[in-house]
This record gives sequence, C-alpha cells and structure tokens, in this order.
Amino acid sequence: MRLMSKIFNLNDPGWGRGKGDGNDSSQPNNQNRPGNNQGNNGGPPDLDEVWRDFNGKIGSLFGRKRRGGGNMGGGGNGGGPVQLPKGSPKLFVFIAIVLVGLWLSSGFIIVQEGQVAVVTKFGKYTKTLNPGLQWHMPYPIEEAQPVNIAQLRTFEVGYRGSVGNKVLNESLMLTTDENIVDVQYVVQYRLMPEGAPNYLFETVDPDDSVRQAAETAMREVVGQRPMDVVLYSGRTEIANSVQQLTQDILDRYKTGVQVSTVAIQNVQPPEQVQAAFDDAVKAGQDRERLINEGNAYASRIIPEARGRADRMVFDAQGYTAQVIGTAQGDTARFAAIETEFAKAPEVTRDRMYLATMQTILENTSKILIDNQSASNMLYLPLDKIMQQASRSNSSTASPDPAAGMAAGSAGQSSEGSGSSSGSTSGSGGRNASGGGSPYSNSSNLLTSPYSSR
Amino acid sequence: MPRFFPYLVGLVILLAVASSCVFIVRERDAALVFALGEVRDTITEPGLYFKLPPPFENVVRLDKRLQTIESQDPERIQTAEKKNLLIDSYAKWRISDPRQYYVTFGLNKTAAEERLSAQIRDALNAAVNVRTVKQVVSSERGDIMDEILANVARRAAPLGVDVVDVRLIRIDFSPEISESVYRRMEAERKEEANRLRATGSAESERIRAQADREREEILAKAYADAQNIRGEGDADAAAIYSESYGKNPDFYSFYRSLESYRSAFSNKNDTLVISPDTDFFRFWGNPQGGQAQEGAGSR
Repeated sequence: MRLMSKIFNLNDPGWGRGKGDGNDSSQPNNQNRPGNNQGNNGGPPDLDEVWRDFNGKIGSLFGRKRRGGGNMGGGGNGGGPVQLPKGSPKLFVFIAIVLVGLWLSSGFIIVQEGQVAVVTKFGKYTKTLNPGLQWHMPYPIEEAQPVNIAQLRTFEVGYRGSVGNKVLNESLMLTTDENIVDVQYVVQYRLMPEGAPNYLFETVDPDDSVRQAAETAMREVVGQRPMDVVLYSGRTEIANSVQQLTQDILDRYKTGVQVSTVAIQNVQPPEQVQAAFDDAVKAGQDRERLINEGNAYASRIIPEARGRADRMVFDAQGYTAQVIGTAQGDTARFAAIETEFAKAPEVTRDRMYLATMQTILENTSKILIDNQSASNMLYLPLDKIMQQASRSNSSTASPDPAAGMAAGSAGQSSEGSGSSSGSTSGSGGRNASGGGSPYSNSSNLLTSPYSSR
Repeated sequence: MPRFFPYLVGLVILLAVASSCVFIVRERDAALVFALGEVRDTITEPGLYFKLPPPFENVVRLDKRLQTIESQDPERIQTAEKKNLLIDSYAKWRISDPRQYYVTFGLNKTAAEERLSAQIRDALNAAVNVRTVKQVVSSERGDIMDEILANVARRAAPLGVDVVDVRLIRIDFSPEISESVYRRMEAERKEEANRLRATGSAESERIRAQADREREEILAKAYADAQNIRGEGDADAAAIYSESYGKNPDFYSFYRSLESYRSAFSNKNDTLVISPDTDFFRFWGNPQGGQAQEGAGSR
C-alpha cells in the first residue's frame, strides 16, 4: 500500500506522451505542470521497482523518438536496465504480475484543483477528468493531459508592465473620423468549463489566437466610432463591444476560451497632439469657470438689489408714518391753540406775536436802524459785526462773510466798530449807546445814522 | 542463462513488429497511409489503426488544427483617393483535404503559408484599392474582410486548404500622412478650445447682463412703490392738515408765520437789520404806541 501511494505521488501526467513526432511542434503551453517527477531518487529500497518502471518509460520515449512516430509498446519492459532475477518460473510469473500491477497503477493520476485532465484513448478524445484522484487506462492505451481551466490568463496590448511603457505600433489606431488615438488595454480570459478539449485539439496556438482576436476586435470597434466617443464618453461601451466581438471570433475558431474582461487602461490622443488636447480640456474648464463667475455675479447682485428695494419701500413707509405723525401732531397742537385763540383773539394774537419776536430777537444779532431822519448814506460794516457776533458767541465757526452792503462805501476804511460815533444830530439828539445789553447774550449794535452834512 | 530468456527475447521482437503494424492518429492530426509511394488511405478520425509494417506501408501525419498566418510587415496599400495605408492582417486556415494538401505542398508548411500569404495580399489590394480611407477604416471594414475571405477561400480550396477567417489588424496611415493628420487634429483642438472660451465668456456676459437688467427692474419697481407710498403718505398728511387748518385759515396763517420766523431766525449768526417802525417796535420811543396800551417798552 505504501508502494502504491509512492507511485501515486509520481503524478506525472506527461509520462509517455508522444513528444517530438516531427510535426506537432507546438504544444499548448501554459500548462503549469504540477511537480515534475520529484522524489524519484533517494527513496526507500522498495522504490526500486518504481525506479525501474520509470527507467523503462524513459527508455521507451527514446526509443520512439528514434523511430519517429512508431509506438514502442510495453511501458514496463522497454529498453531499461532491468535486472532479471535468477529463479523459478513461479518467480518469473510473480514478477510479471508485479509488473502488470505496476503498469495498471500507473493509470492513477491526481488532477489538481483548478485543472482538468483530458483523456484520449489511442489518440481519440474520450473524457475529461475532474480534480481529485482519478484513474485511466494506463499508457499506451489512454493518456491524460492536464489543462488549467481556473487560471485567469492575462495579456496587455499597447503597453508592457506599466501604461507608461507603451508599444506604439499596438496602441495607435484610427477612429472613424480619421483621427489617431492611443489605446492601452488588458485582456483576461480563461478556459470555458467544457473548453479543454477544444483548447488542446482545435487550434495550433489558442493563446496567440486570443491576442490576435482582441487586437483586431479593438481596432474594428474603435474604427467605427468618432474620436470624442473613444476618448471621453464611450470607454465602457467600447470595452464591452470588444469583449463581445473577441468572444465571437474565438468561438468561431473553437478555441474553448472565454474572454472574461477587456479593460481599457488608458485612452489618449497621441503624444504629438497631447498639448493641444490638454488645452482644449482646460478651455472647457475655463468656460465653466467663466459661466460660474457670471452666476456668482448674478447671485450677488440680485439679492443686493432686492435688499435695496426693500429698504426703499421701508424708507417710504417710514416717511409716510413720519409725515402722517407729524401732521397729526401739528394739527393737534394747532387745534389746542386755536381753541384758546377763539376765546380771546386779540390778546392771544398779540401775546403770541410778541413772544415769538422776543424769542427770535434774543437769539439773533440785531442792528436797529432808526431811519426816520434818514440820510441816504449809511455805512454798515457787516463783516465786522458778524465777526463780533460770532466771537461773543464763542463759537468756533468762522463767520460767514457778509454778503452785501447796505449802502455803497464812501471809500473810507472801516474802523471803530463798537464805538459810538457820538454825533450830535440837530433834531432828535438821541443817544445811540453801544455795547451789549446786560440781559441778553446777544451783541446789540445800535448804530446812529451818520449825517453827512 | 535462465530457461525463459528466449521467450523474453521472442516477446520483445513480437512487440516490436506489432508496434510497427499499429499506429495512433491523434485528435490534432490527419494521417495519410502510403502504400509503396501512393496514398492508400486518408484518416481524419483519431484512433488506433493497423497497417503493414514498413517498408510496405508508411504513415505521414499532418496537423489538421487551425493555424495562423500573420503578415510579417504591414502592407502598403493605396486607397481609392491614392493615400497610402499600412495594413496588417492575419488568416486562420486548416488542412481540409490532407491528400490534396500533401500533393501540393508535401510537409513544407512554409510553402503553403507563402502561397496563402500571396493570395491574401492580392485580395487585400483588390479590396482596398477601390475604397476610400473612411470606408476601409470604419464603414466597410467588415465587408473588406468578408471579400478577402471569400476570395482567398475560393482560391485555396483546390490546394486542400480551408481558409476559415481573414481579419485586418492594424490599419494605419503611412508616416507622412500621419504627420498631417496630427497637424489637423491639433488645429481642430485649437479651434475647439477657442470656441469653448468664447462661448464661455459670451455666456458669462449674458448672465451678467441679465442680472444687471433684473437689478434695474427690481430697483425701478421699488422706487415706484416707494414714491407711491410716500405720495399716499403726503396725501394723507395734507388731508389731515387741510381738515384741521381749514377751520380757521386766518389764524393758521398767523400761527404758521410765527412758527416759520422762529425757526428761520434761530442762530446767532443771523443778523437782523431792523427798522424800528415795525409793529414790534411800536412802543419804542412811543409808550402810547398805536393803541391806548400800557407801554411795555423794554430798556
């Protein structure tokens, strides 16, 4: 039993497969053979038989090679260095039985997870073995070829390794509007679950076929679309179309391959025109920016205007309220006074008049001109008067220059304001006293008429 | 020497002879069985077959799987508008009639591929010469491939070859045309960029102008409303005044005049030049005044 398991460990599916038959140069590669004949050396003594069996197979291989296609049967007793035991026929029979057992046990294979084994009987496809411990009729009746169906195979088109490392003659292609674009994409595929026999028997180079199909499909699809679609909007759709078209082509070739993804890594305009394209993209952003600025202006200015509009309306309402209030106040006051007035018109009139005049005259500068014996000429140094008034007011405001003289000046320099020009008039003989009245803080200037006779 | 040694030798010889009388045809192969130089049988089904040992009968195997011919260098082909295109293609073919194929090419696969390549080139030229670049690149790409395939398949059939598919891979402009294409692309992009910027600023301007207009509208309407409100206020106030003052216009004039005097002359800087013959000064130097009144002459 231990011997058996040892043999199983020799799961070398390639044993005795016809190699070098002159015209089958290209085996499908990518087969990932698991553990090639390891552990045949240095085993315990009971491995001798196995070792011999192995030698026999090698021998038969060489033998076939020499003969170019003929089949040396008898895997066990090929041309190996078999040491014949010296003994009775019984021993010989026993050995024969052991050899036959060994030969039969060489039909055991372990199919790795993710692989299937395609079994051919005298070259004709019979069945596909699933992963696990399997048995088939031993060589030369049946042969098993392992095929990896789980492995996702990948190849890159238009670049190698990284997108920056371009392969221009793969990546540059024409669009329908006769522009050139630069496309990098990657294709992943695996075998269909039932695809292993086709993969092995239908095409010389299934893996190369996938690549060719993907390239022609991509160029055909891109060639049917305008550049803008290829560059900007249509990537996903293009990838899907390419996947579909590639799959159709491969189905026609019966490769047994399923394209799982076509992923476009990068689409650009060619290097030579990249700058112009970038600028166009920038221009698009500039356009957005300008429009946004316009919108920002609008959204700033219109609320402002609304605010101002509201202020105008509210101001008007305030004004209205104020005007009406004032009117009501004024009329109320007036009505009150008027009631009094109606009781004693004359007295009230005089009283009001005098009170008002008093208030006015108390608060202003005054010049009283008694013009009864009026001469025609009167000199009033108004500017001086104003100055004085403002000084006595102790106001810091500079006085307004007097606008206008009461009479034409006689060319004298103005001086002596405030002093009485004690002239003795013939008639009235009235004294014009200068100086401020002690009762009011107004500066009163009483000027007597200057008679020039 | 053990007794069974002769048996063993016999067995080995027997096996050798037997092995030369059987042969296996694999899935991927087609086999021709030659009997003294002429083809006795063509086998396309895989399995175990018998024959006479050499030299009476020999077996030749041919690969019947689908094979590929890829063009080595892109073909330079002129289109209808006399532009040069560089075109790559591949073809898929298989041996359909092993006997015919073997008679034509023997085991020389290169010869077969060269013959097919030449046919493909001819068909490709014929198909592209009558079409414009646009048709070749996009609209009639499929037609071209179908045309070439039909053409080549028809001519290859007598050679025992089945051409399954011919596909164009690369269709590129020749370098001198590529250069001008790049320049055109550049010019188009510049135009596009200018257009984008121009429309952007135009649009922006439009938005601003619209905003300005809206602002003016809002303000004008607000002004109208405000004036309206003020007017109504003024009217209401006037109505209040006239209703009140209308009762006694004379007194109103008097009262209002006094009010005005007071507010008009309220400042020290106002200088009044007064003549004493006003009503206010009627007692000034004349205690009797105009009327028989007690003199209130102030000193």
